[in-house]
Amino acid sequence: MSSSLDTILEGRRSQPHQLIEVLQDVQQEHGYLSREAMDTVSEGLGVPVMEVYRVANFYTAFTLEPMGKYVITLCKGTACHVRGANPLITQALGLLEVEEDQTTEDGLFTVQTVNCIGTCALAPVVVLNGVYHPLMTPAKLRALINRVRREEEEGTGHA
Amino acid sequence: MHQYVDIVVDGSKLKGRKGETVLDAALRYGICIPHLCHMPTLSDIGACRLCIVEHIKNGRTKITTSCTLLVQEGMVIDANSQRVRGLRRNIAELLVTQAPNSRAIQDIALRCGVTEPRYKFRSDDCVLCGRCVRTCNEHYNAHAIGFVGRGRERQVEYPYREKPASCVMCKACVTLCPMSITPCDGPMKPGEGYFCGKCESLTQAPQYEPGDCTRCDLGEGFDCARHV
Amino acid sequence: MPKIASIDELKTIGEQLTAARSDDAILMTVCGGPGCQATRCHDVAAELRKELDSNGFNGSARLRVTGCHGFCEQGPIVVIDPSNIFYGQVKPADVKEIVDRTVRNGEVVERLLYTDPSTGKTVLTEDKIPFYKAQTPTLLSQNRRLDPWSMEDYLAIGGYTALAKVLSGMSPEEVISQIKASGLRGRGGGGFPTATKWAACRAAHGEEKYVICNADEGDPGAFMDRGILEGNPHAILEGMIIGAWAIGANKGYIYVRNEYPLAVEHAKEAISQAREYGFLGEDILGSGMNMDIQVARGGGAFVCGESTALMASLEGKVGEPRPKDVHTVEHGLWNRPTTLNNVETWANVPAIINNGAAWFSGMGTDNSKGTKILALTGEVKNTGLVEVAFGTSLRTVVEQIGGGGRDGRTTKAVQTGGPSGGCLPASMFDLPVDFDVLWEKGSMIGSGGLVVMDEKTCMVDVAKYFLKFLQDESCGKCVPCRIGVDRLLEIVTDITEGRGSSEQVELLKELGETVAETALCGLGKTAPNPVLSTLRYFPEEYEAHISEGRCPAGVCTELIEYSIDAVTCNGCGACLKACPSEAIQGRKNKLHTINLELCTKCGICLTSCNDNAIVVQ
Repeated sequence: MSSSLDTILEGRRSQPHQLIEVLQDVQQEHGYLSREAMDTVSEGLGVPVMEVYRVANFYTAFTLEPMGKYVITLCKGTACHVRGANPLITQALGLLEVEEDQTTEDGLFTVQTVNCIGTCALAPVVVLNGVYHPLMTPAKLRALINRVRREEEEGTGHA
Repeated sequence: MHQYVDIVVDGSKLKGRKGETVLDAALRYGICIPHLCHMPTLSDIGACRLCIVEHIKNGRTKITTSCTLLVQEGMVIDANSQRVRGLRRNIAELLVTQAPNSRAIQDIALRCGVTEPRYKFRSDDCVLCGRCVRTCNEHYNAHAIGFVGRGRERQVEYPYREKPASCVMCKACVTLCPMSITPCDGPMKPGEGYFCGKCESLTQAPQYEPGDCTRCDLGEGFDCARHV
Repeated sequence: MPKIASIDELKTIGEQLTAARSDDAILMTVCGGPGCQATRCHDVAAELRKELDSNGFNGSARLRVTGCHGFCEQGPIVVIDPSNIFYGQVKPADVKEIVDRTVRNGEVVERLLYTDPSTGKTVLTEDKIPFYKAQTPTLLSQNRRLDPWSMEDYLAIGGYTALAKVLSGMSPEEVISQIKASGLRGRGGGGFPTATKWAACRAAHGEEKYVICNADEGDPGAFMDRGILEGNPHAILEGMIIGAWAIGANKGYIYVRNEYPLAVEHAKEAISQAREYGFLGEDILGSGMNMDIQVARGGGAFVCGESTALMASLEGKVGEPRPKDVHTVEHGLWNRPTTLNNVETWANVPAIINNGAAWFSGMGTDNSKGTKILALTGEVKNTGLVEVAFGTSLRTVVEQIGGGGRDGRTTKAVQTGGPSGGCLPASMFDLPVDFDVLWEKGSMIGSGGLVVMDEKTCMVDVAKYFLKFLQDESCGKCVPCRIGVDRLLEIVTDITEGRGSSEQVELLKELGETVAETALCGLGKTAPNPVLSTLRYFPEEYEAHISEGRCPAGVCTELIEYSIDAVTCNGCGACLKACPSEAIQGRKNKLHTINLELCTKCGICLTSCNDNAIVVQ
């Protein structure tokens, strides 16, 4: 952990304005911002811990808890809303029995919503680990989630 | 040695000091523009929006906060027009229904002309004026507390929600907090807040008029500008 | 590739590259825009590449994957030139046939052609498709001519010649004056005259100045900037360098929102190429100008589209806007003079320099010059990115380009300008796309998002949707936005749940006006627009919710009831399986029923029924 933080901080030490870029790299590398990581970044950049914590909480790009193996992102943008994003959200949360931004107990799925991902012409859109699924319906979403579950059980899953 | 500029506030000619804000100049002359998040010696953030005034320029008016507007030669300000009073009243109405459990907040609402609030009462403990946070950062450089979260979730918090070593319990934040030092005796249960309109300054005033001051004790700990 | 050290060298290389492209080879263009990516255009492109490589075409047929063509609804798109044959909704399995029949033998694969719904006939070529015909795609049309990862493609179509023109003898004042004459206004939503901004920044005191490209594109429903950034990134760079020359800056930033990782990559690659070729760095084209640009990523906050919040974010802080009593052109990033412009604004600059101000101002209306890219989405047949000259009517956009409503439903309104904009009813569709006209009517063109709504959209629900969005994205600093928007939402929610009253409607208007006048930043100031515009133009919908407790569009869950029609239901059980609340009962092939006590009105059964047996009222 500390060695990867060193790499991320290299060339950026004592430069407070790099805070967001550094945290982005930490989020990408570790999947979330741990307290340890935030303390290290605070020291490395010369930014008070309070400020690091503020930035971590302000921006939705950062999570303070580890996420599931499969992150389901449901778009709530205007076009998606008009074309039926709500049933998709109900379906995902209901099927996986979690609240928004929560991870399932088996650590497999995290469900989050986003206010627009920019693929509006093919609304409603769901993103699973970076792969876009356009023109989604509750039935297709059910099928997708079930397929992933099956693959995980069979050991053929790829996150 | 100060450099001065001539400005006009509510028809009165004032000599503003270069580098100060319209609010500072007005308060120096005893013109009370209601405010909450402003505190002398702390930075001005323009968060509460109570100190709004009309800045009249080239025949047009712009509504802006007087705490962030620097004085300039020839500036004309209307701090008490009907439009400004109406807007200020609506903002105060939002504040008092959000966090009614403080005499200072009830007093501000009353002074701004709120009589019957039209929203359901809530019972927040914090008006997010930022006095505590700015004192901790700007005076003591402790950075022990800060605003965490966005929008409705915004709260004053410790880092990781644990008191850090840099907090030495100086209590400066508490002495400046309008909620902590002037708590209202009224009900504190959610949804049961109310607007009694009877805090000290009012009970002592024979005739209520926005802008009047009765020199009550409320101003002391709260560092009300009128208590000068 | 060694640096291009002079303007003459650029001219030579450009001409060479242009000549190399105009041979007789058959060109297959695959659209790689955001929409087509989602429908797996890269699988189609990979298949095409395989076919070309394995079948010995030897340069007589070429493949180019480009940025967005605009017709997202028809993706994946393959265009075969020189005949300009347009194939839509292409699947990897179709590729072999396309190569064998069309590329080899010039035959058309009829089933892949676009069918015009109004005539029922197929259309052969891209330029005859109604969606494209009514557009004026001066900027967007560049996308299909180049591979966004290729500097050479950009040079081949005249790239960086505008910069060369500027650096070979135009003074900064002349540049600003040409932009002024063109009438260019900001394309991000503010519509502020670009030349005025540049002139003020030029005049501001300060040794170090900055140019910023705002690619935060937070408006939900908008993806125009993404289309340009991923389709033609060099146009933006060229515009920024020209702008930097005009204001006296040597450093620039492209701030891309966190939700666009691919756009970030495109921007970084384009910058790296520009440095390699000498368009960024020291002594650009031998002019003595130094300039560099960096990419910064957003953190996921709509408010960072606001210029002061964006600059705070660039400084590594939380994105809280600050009061604009002091202008950012004088005290912006790091308190220094800064010119911040939107992606589309920057991308328009090179063409204005090359074609002249009159060319640009010849398009559009008196006060809104040039073209605007719109993201046409929602309940309309043809969705995608479209570019029209200002002055084009909303009706043309929705009906001629958009093809009208979907599934035979009547179009009711368009929502423009995102959360800062408003809704305009169908009766006003003759209004032109124009900054001032739409503003005067209570909406705004905004960044260009245009969402079409029909009879199944509840306008009160739309107001609630935008208020929720803004409440989520508000930074929370000032009272009118943090508390005011929350209270507006509380009232509108009451109305959608049957607890509304007419006094509340008056309060909505008064509070809306207060928030608009007293909020600290643009997010708060424009937050009341959706609710105020829907109140203005759709009062009957509010009235139905309030006095009749009825939602005419059948959306507001507290006011509707789901049931199954006894005649149309065939007992297939699809709804039963789909219901997440287990509220549906029924035996196979017998009428199914909904238990209203368990029903949460999520609408999932509605989407599962193939026989239209679910009734909502």
